[in-house]
Amino acid sequence: MVFDGVHAVRDATFDLERGRFLTILGPSGSGKTTLLRMIAGFGRPTSGEVFINGLAVGSVPPHRRSIGMVFQKLALFPHMTAAENVAFPLRMRRFDARTIPDRVHRYLDLVKLGKLGDRRIHELSGGQQQRVAIARALVFEPDLLLLDEPLAALDRKLREEMQLEFRRIQRELDVTTINVTHDQREALVVSDEIIVMDHGRIQQKARPEATYRQPKNAFVANFIGVTNFIDGVVASVDGDLIAFERSGLAGRPGNGFRPAAGVSARGALRAEQIRIGGGRETLGDVDTVFGGTVTDAIFEGERVVYEVAVPDLGGTTLRVFDHDPVAHNQHDVGSTVALGWNVKDVLVFGD
Amino acid sequence: MRPSRTSYPLSWRLMDAVEAIAASVWPRSFSAAVPWLMLMPAAVLVGLLVLGLWDMADGSFRTLDTATFLPSDDYSLANYDRAFTEKLFFTVASRSLIGSLIVTAITLVFAFPYSYVMVRTRSAALRKFLLIALFLPFFIGQVVRAYGWLIILGSQGMVNEALGLVGVAPIRLLYNYPAVLFGLVQYMLPFAVLMLAPALTAIPEEMESAAGSLGANWVRTFIHVVLPLAKPGFIGAGLVVMTLSLTDFAIPAILGGGSQDFIANAIYDQFFRTSDQGMGATLALLLVAVGSIMVGVVFALFGAGTLAMGRSK
Amino acid sequence: MTGPSKPFLNLGRRRFLQGVGLAGAAGLVGMPFGRAFAAEPEKPKEIIVRAWGGSWVDSLKKGVSDPFTEATGIAVRHDLTEDNEIQPKVWAAVAQKRVPPIHINWDTTTNATKSALRGVTEDLSDLSNLANVTELAKPVGLDGYPIVNTYGYVYVLAYRPSAFPDGAPKSWKDLLDPKLKGRIALYNDGIGFHFPAQVAGGGKLEDIPDNMQAAWDFIAKIKEQEPLLGEDPDFTAWFQKGEIDAACTISTNAREAKANGVDIAWTVPEEGAKYDTDGLWIPKGLPENELYWAKQYINFAITKDAQQVWLDGLGLPGVVPGVNPPADLVGDPSYPTTEADFKKLIRISSKVQVEHESEWFGKFKEIMQG
Repeated sequence: MVFDGVHAVRDATFDLERGRFLTILGPSGSGKTTLLRMIAGFGRPTSGEVFINGLAVGSVPPHRRSIGMVFQKLALFPHMTAAENVAFPLRMRRFDARTIPDRVHRYLDLVKLGKLGDRRIHELSGGQQQRVAIARALVFEPDLLLLDEPLAALDRKLREEMQLEFRRIQRELDVTTINVTHDQREALVVSDEIIVMDHGRIQQKARPEATYRQPKNAFVANFIGVTNFIDGVVASVDGDLIAFERSGLAGRPGNGFRPAAGVSARGALRAEQIRIGGGRETLGDVDTVFGGTVTDAIFEGERVVYEVAVPDLGGTTLRVFDHDPVAHNQHDVGSTVALGWNVKDVLVFGD
Repeated sequence: MRPSRTSYPLSWRLMDAVEAIAASVWPRSFSAAVPWLMLMPAAVLVGLLVLGLWDMADGSFRTLDTATFLPSDDYSLANYDRAFTEKLFFTVASRSLIGSLIVTAITLVFAFPYSYVMVRTRSAALRKFLLIALFLPFFIGQVVRAYGWLIILGSQGMVNEALGLVGVAPIRLLYNYPAVLFGLVQYMLPFAVLMLAPALTAIPEEMESAAGSLGANWVRTFIHVVLPLAKPGFIGAGLVVMTLSLTDFAIPAILGGGSQDFIANAIYDQFFRTSDQGMGATLALLLVAVGSIMVGVVFALFGAGTLAMGRSK
Repeated sequence: MTGPSKPFLNLGRRRFLQGVGLAGAAGLVGMPFGRAFAAEPEKPKEIIVRAWGGSWVDSLKKGVSDPFTEATGIAVRHDLTEDNEIQPKVWAAVAQKRVPPIHINWDTTTNATKSALRGVTEDLSDLSNLANVTELAKPVGLDGYPIVNTYGYVYVLAYRPSAFPDGAPKSWKDLLDPKLKGRIALYNDGIGFHFPAQVAGGGKLEDIPDNMQAAWDFIAKIKEQEPLLGEDPDFTAWFQKGEIDAACTISTNAREAKANGVDIAWTVPEEGAKYDTDGLWIPKGLPENELYWAKQYINFAITKDAQQVWLDGLGLPGVVPGVNPPADLVGDPSYPTTEADFKKLIRISSKVQVEHESEWFGKFKEIMQG
């Protein structure tokens, strides 16, 4: 599938292999929903084309495309039962009437709603409604399944449960799926591939792990995970080692960045890759160490998030995750701490 | 942080004072009575209506003595007998009933696309234009509008003048049944649009997109999704249009040329032309009954639509 | 409208009192002339007269109300509530023994007769000026004077001369001409048309009210002509807007259309035309002094001076001998003065009319609404 667009979506050329689960991830206003609506056929790109199975579908209206879609607010029909909702696309697409009940049943079973087919939509819980919407989008065996942030309104627990359900159903049916979300966790959990979008442009398309570990630019690094940025001026470049002026900070190039000496750049360092201790000796095997003062300590249950001001980095405040299960809250606000990390974990991007 | 005196705005203090005064006038322990107190004016109005109906019910059983022009002292069903047997009343009643149904059907057909465009258009200017065009007629009374049609559709009116330019002899466009129905449709359209629009607003646009993605073209989307979901609006609008046209007086009187009376015109004649208040009361009560039955049938068949009250399930 | 208003602005108290004095001299007022003024009841600030609007109330004001005010100092307020609509209000007031909303009702004799039969009218037999009126002033079929008729009028056949190139229509049957289809108008209750229709349909006037089949047959034929049905203002408007070519209507409406520049003529066809009267009456329940002054108003309305101005405006023949017709109506069939004029007109007693009116209206409507 190839896609070209402008404005809300400017440059969004990508392709997707059959049977894969792709998530388009981006902040609100990044153009991801617009992109999805164009794929579904609800808006035509000003330029560019959508191909499905190698065929351009630009002039094909939505109801002739073989695309199932689960909408943000589900858009279940309140005047029909769950089963009637699932049967709707089969009736509209003129499936053999004799096969419809059976098929509806099969798909309700697939989403574990086998016994609730006769319920009206408002008699179902939020999670059950999600399942009806999935069954309705899949029952006619579309070439492509689109998910337009359907989980956004659910509470966290239900959302995480449904993410796994999506994954299970998608694997079971092997249906090519494009999911849109602003929830990075969801993207990482469910996807074969992630596209990060911003300002209508694709920032990166990669497998989840690669997206997290090898962000292509500062935006991606910032959007996924909790990342500290340390601004500075490049002092020297030696192979894969980029050293900053004055602070002595060093890192390796992000996405093949090869700056000349004197260029300003920023080092990106994830919060969980920084170790924190009362003194240098408690940090273990690290090749970079800075001293700092704790300005805030936030207890989040399974971890403590420290904010540490580092004078030698121009007063930059770094966020640090401390997962030490033994001794929570060992550093009080105002105490002096040592921070350590390895040079390989600092990715250097252009400004 | 403790709020300082100065951070407490003047408007809050005013509200405190008002609340204190209200509390002294109407102690908090009486608060349960407040909703009832507010219901009072409406209850009084409805009560007066019931009294009037009672009075009319009494009158409907008395016949007029044309030797003394007094209602009879004894009760009889004579008026009702006349209402059900005299051809005039049958003619007028069936004309009103059939007319109100035709007007309702045509009005709903016209009102739907209007409301739909008004609700769905992305152009704020178009929406404003449609709203203004909708509300403008409300400032022009029914009678004035009917007279407007006399000017436009009369034998020497604008339409006939335009026809004259292309060599068509003047046509009698007024003073017949279609003219009355036309006037009623024009009069009812804004009511219907106003009743339909909220029902259409309540249908998320996503529903229509969903129907599209599930394989329904716009016709089938309309039939299977929009129409059923707009049903409450259609029922509400239909009931309002039907009852208002069934009981209308001015349009049949003015555009009908005297030979297209509706029930209200027949009632007027009894009260004010033949001074037979008993017969007038009988016809009025029968009209109330027929209207109520029609509303009841619609409620029973389709539910109360947007007129349904109470908390939703 | 057409009245010589100048002399009346100068009418003054003295001349008015002469009229009242005449009545006193005739001995028809309960007390002698001199004492009438010594013991004259207290004057109310105003009296309220229900009237029809437009040129009707203008004429009444000029001919009766203004001179009355000038002579007595009592203001006259005109209440323009429809006659049909004031009736139930007055009836209700009398039934509930309240003071009625008006002092004097200017009413059709037919409608007034209903009120008289119902017993809500004051007897006016003691008005002094009744000594000088023609027998037209006396309501037919009622005891005494519950109403004083003040003028008569004819339901003429008004027509547009251009639609009748061969001259005035001679018969009501001329309305059946196919080229007049949709071009004729009647009152919406058929008033004024029932009696000539009885003749035109081959029936006899003596059979009214017992056998009116001839009238209904003729009206059914007229129905095929798709007539417009309306009320007084409609006829004038329809003639002006070119909607109709002929109508059965009170001559006053035709005359008003003519005054507005429409080419209109009217005639009394060979079958005759309905002649009827309007009158003034006083509802029961007024305070004594207000009743007295209301009676004085009616008494004044049947003086020659008042009638001359009032009826000039209406173009209708009054009930006092010697009133001069307006110049345009001398010898006009709608302004009967001679025995021969009256012979062409149909007059049926108000009592018969009110007793059967509802039935006739119903029958007419049944035919027309079918």
